[in-house]
Amino acid sequence: MAIMERNSRNIDNRYWNPGFKAFPVKNVYTAGAAGQRFFEEIKNNSKILGSRCEKCELTYVPARIYCERCFNRLEEKNWIDVGTEGTIYSYTLLFQTQNGEPRENPAVMVAVRIADGLLIHRLGEFSAADLEIDKPVKAKFKPKEKRKGCIEDIDYFKPIK
Amino acid sequence: MDKKVAIVGIGYSGFGSTTPDLSYREMIFEAATKCYQDAGGIHPQSIDSFVASSEDFMEGISIADEYVPDQLGAVLKPVHSITGDSLQGLASAMMQIKTGQQSIVAASAFSKVSNLSNHDGLVTYATDPFYIRPFNENPYFIAGLEMNRYLHETGTTREQCAKVVTKNRSNALNNPSALYGARIELEDVTEAPVLSYPLGIYDMSGHLDGSIVVLLASEERARELTDKPIWIKGIGWATDTPNLDSRIDGMGSAVYARLAAQKAYRMAGINNPFNEIDFAEIDDTFSYKELQHLEALNLCGPGEAGKLLELGCFAPDGDFPVNVSGGSLGGGYLHEANGLQRLMETVLQLRGEAGKRQLHDVETGLAFAWRGIPTATGAAVILSTRP
Ligand SMILES: [Zn+2]
Repeated sequence: MAIMERNSRNIDNRYWNPGFKAFPVKNVYTAGAAGQRFFEEIKNNSKILGSRCEKCELTYVPARIYCERCFNRLEEKNWIDVGTEGTIYSYTLLFQTQNGEPRENPAVMVAVRIADGLLIHRLGEFSAADLEIDKPVKAKFKPKEKRKGCIEDIDYFKPIK
Repeated sequence: MDKKVAIVGIGYSGFGSTTPDLSYREMIFEAATKCYQDAGGIHPQSIDSFVASSEDFMEGISIADEYVPDQLGAVLKPVHSITGDSLQGLASAMMQIKTGQQSIVAASAFSKVSNLSNHDGLVTYATDPFYIRPFNENPYFIAGLEMNRYLHETGTTREQCAKVVTKNRSNALNNPSALYGARIELEDVTEAPVLSYPLGIYDMSGHLDGSIVVLLASEERARELTDKPIWIKGIGWATDTPNLDSRIDGMGSAVYARLAAQKAYRMAGINNPFNEIDFAEIDDTFSYKELQHLEALNLCGPGEAGKLLELGCFAPDGDFPVNVSGGSLGGGYLHEANGLQRLMETVLQLRGEAGKRQLHDVETGLAFAWRGIPTATGAAVILSTRP
């Protein structure tokens, strides 16, 4: 049990890239019964849906088909339109790209509280004074013809003046 | 189930920002060699079972658990992997002894993150594919959201978070295995480029390669293998919701830490952790996390950690030393091996083998680990010199 020799000169060290191309892990994803309906409502009707657990007195946004606290099924009657307005629960100014490169103009990401849920999204049409926890904001949807049935069908949230 | 379990050996390898001289499996082999030597020179043939903590993708291969046995001396032995923090792996090893199934069990973990060309992309891959990933943003914005909310809820200041960085990087100067030791001023942290406001680039710990192997034994076997066993008095782990959209409570406070600690304290019979524990090694992947974790671990009230820090309470000579080793901010972040790193430092302190950073008269220590962004999983362990 011992390592008898190890490379001691950096110049001798090399890294091996596999001779084959990086293995292409490719997936499609199933939004599920809840996700599909949630996104279709955004796409077709500009509505944000939540689902309410009466027992826990919690309204999930985005909507789900089960309560993660009490494990109850959230039926059709539990699905509700929660409106398109919320408040900033937290915000951040992101100064790096996805790959860790610095960038001058930050992305402004917000956690928007709607009922008992937090929608993570971008903030748009704002001034520095709007960057404040509890600030009321409203969803700005993309034009209908540009929607695809995804979270980015909401272009961003913007402060309510 | 009241069998006592002790740590009888520990060893590490690597601890560099890069480790081009050894493969990750050789690094584990070296750590295992040191660990077994530390436990009186035990041969792995005498070890009953092995638990490895790892995360597929970090190794660059899939079904990574199949690549575990040989470097631990575990070929033809019971082996399994835990896809979680290495303190969860430690819990699994401990339970095998508690049930009486095994008497001596090794637990391992490693990081070879320097081989990963797009770590941030891998973290993005761990986020929800429908609600988070489509933004194609750096995943550390989640830490920015958490920190901002934590400051808002508790009144903790950005400067207090920066003080965690100066403390831990200064502590690391007394730890020969800590890579990021530095004597810096608060302004070096607060005026550094911002990663995700209010989180600056130095509020985040740097990457570290390394491997740690630890050996656990039943009381009977522990007495044979070492004259300084360190006893596991309590252990607990918990996971908050994985959905960012349900983290109303979990965005500003570390709910997972509170729940994990409650279980560990109960098992160890601890009622007042601040008084009954002598020091702690606590996850500080990000500066604000050390303060948030201190509060969640019930070592002080919400919003008190920053003030106590400024009063010197958590300094090496304070009432309750925290991350005397330098933590991850001073030592580097070992990814899934983070928990065993916190554990190793706690063991060294309790054994009186911590060199220049040795604390005096310490009997009971706490190690706590978090799995990092975007997870909400933590694990706590109480260790003691007394069975
Ligand atoms: Zn419920």
